[in-house]
Amino acid sequence: MARLCRLDRIHLALALLLLLLPLVLSDWHLTQLSQFLTYGLLAASLAFLWGQAGVLSFGHALFFGLGAYAMSLASMGRIPFWPAGSWSGLLLALLLPALVARLLGWFLFHGQGLRGAYLGIVLLALALIAERVATSWAYVGGMNGLMNVPAFSPWPGLELVEPRPLYYALLLVTGLAMLLLEAVTRSRFGLVLRAIQEDERRTAFTGFDTAACKATALTLSGMVAGLAGALFVIQFGFVSPPLIGFGLSTEVLVWTALGGRSLLAAAFIGALAVRWLESSLSEWLGAFWPLALGLLFVLVVVLLPRGLVAEPWLRWAARANGLDPAAREGKPGDHHAED
Amino acid sequence: MTALLLLDALGFVLAILLVAMGLVIVFGMMRVINMAHGELFLLGAYTLLVAEQLGLGFWAGLLLAPLVVGAIGLLLEALVIRHIYHRFLDTILATFGLSLVIKQGVVLLFGPESRTVEPPFSFRLGGEALSYPAYRLFIMAMSLAVVWLTFHLLRRTRFGLMARAVVANRSMASCLGIDTRRLDRWTFAYGAALAGFAGAVMAPIMSVDPQMGMGFLVPAFLAILTGGAQHLAGAMLGAGLIGGTDTLIARLVSPVAAQLIVLAAAIVVIRLCPDGLAARLGRGRR
Repeated sequence: MARLCRLDRIHLALALLLLLLPLVLSDWHLTQLSQFLTYGLLAASLAFLWGQAGVLSFGHALFFGLGAYAMSLASMGRIPFWPAGSWSGLLLALLLPALVARLLGWFLFHGQGLRGAYLGIVLLALALIAERVATSWAYVGGMNGLMNVPAFSPWPGLELVEPRPLYYALLLVTGLAMLLLEAVTRSRFGLVLRAIQEDERRTAFTGFDTAACKATALTLSGMVAGLAGALFVIQFGFVSPPLIGFGLSTEVLVWTALGGRSLLAAAFIGALAVRWLESSLSEWLGAFWPLALGLLFVLVVVLLPRGLVAEPWLRWAARANGLDPAAREGKPGDHHAED
Repeated sequence: MTALLLLDALGFVLAILLVAMGLVIVFGMMRVINMAHGELFLLGAYTLLVAEQLGLGFWAGLLLAPLVVGAIGLLLEALVIRHIYHRFLDTILATFGLSLVIKQGVVLLFGPESRTVEPPFSFRLGGEALSYPAYRLFIMAMSLAVVWLTFHLLRRTRFGLMARAVVANRSMASCLGIDTRRLDRWTFAYGAALAGFAGAVMAPIMSVDPQMGMGFLVPAFLAILTGGAQHLAGAMLGAGLIGGTDTLIARLVSPVAAQLIVLAAAIVVIRLCPDGLAARLGRGRR
């Protein structure tokens, strides 16, 4: 272990930056930053699924929303036969999205599974269904969602409400989840996922159950997205139908594509950067902001498919010897229509 | 009562078909999932609106809409789509980005509020027992006309022959001297023009606002995927199933239940036969 490779030097710098930022930020900005952390984690979970396994999810807010609703309902003690409380809420916010993702993965991928555009449209339709159900089901609060979810209480007598402790708690959980995803990415399983993205049929021929691998990737991604949803609720104490629907699903897609889907941290930075720019520029740019974001998105998709953050990062990392660049490169060019 | 319900169902089916026609042309021939189709529909409606404000009248607007939106389609193809034909998934992303840009552009130009377009005739057809707005019947007729035109174009013209050759085997068609580049460009423009026409012709029965494209896009997508994107008959079958069940359940149970059941059923159908129902039925017959 002589020295860190260039990729990890940036990871370390990012972690240090996020650790030290509370020293200079006001409470208001810190609250914003902790909100961005949850979105960043959601983007990273999508990047894991899309950039590694090549599964494009047009409905990823489904898992985020499931986590958020599970956290809220369990914290409020409104789920029969499930103990009320913060920890049980967090547990359910991990289990429920993971279970749904697992079932979906089995349903969508096994046999002659769905892929590409079909999969995208189906997941989009699922997010629409979820939003529709959340809006019209009184048990989960209907159109207004659930308000006044109790604050997170790690043990009796302590409640996480102050911005600074809350921020560090969220940062810790986000960091651990990112480490888990990154570890899976670098494991043998991560290599199999990238092989599936490259050429699924050939990977299947070498003896891997590609449907099961993709389903596992979807489960892990859904679980982390659900965790991000739970973190959102811990921070704001409410949940509403837009968190589970089409709008957020497409937003997270934009963040991930802008940051770069082949690196988890790049997608994370993409989410943080877009949200930060949005909050600081939207007053100034007004209605021009979505237009500019849309144009930038189209440009990045066409000209710089590896993403605005990941492209220079990967190039810089590839120049050093510490890393084999080919192993980490997303190969966006390999999804031909069969012609 | 039943006759009215059937007419409503037929109207919805034909409306979906009208929107799906452009999608199926672009997807079937170029393998491009055009997420901006709903926004091209929107542009058609606003073209009609502008034409009316300029004093050109409804019918001129209806003629202008496909021309204007077709030209925009040509532009989009040349600027964006052409660069990413070989990257299948990226076409979804890029057209989705275009949809954001177009929608926001419309908000900036015309404001977010909704407008109404008066139908050119508002009388009802039929007698005492059953009467139906004539304009809705006109829309149905227009939808059938568009389907007929597209069939005719693909089956009876040289353009259609070349287009079908490209669908069957792109590189072979290219070797035989067909300019696939040019064909792609005009196919996309034709799909866009159909979307624009659909938007214009349906504007009088909808609220014209920047969000109007989304409402028909998802049913249209599900229609072509359940029916089968390879041929026009699939789109017709899919539109019939989606539109028919949606209207019936909406009337018998509730609109929310209708949407949920139709979406869920469509997902199951797409999963179980990804080539579409038309392909499966066709195989069974042989």
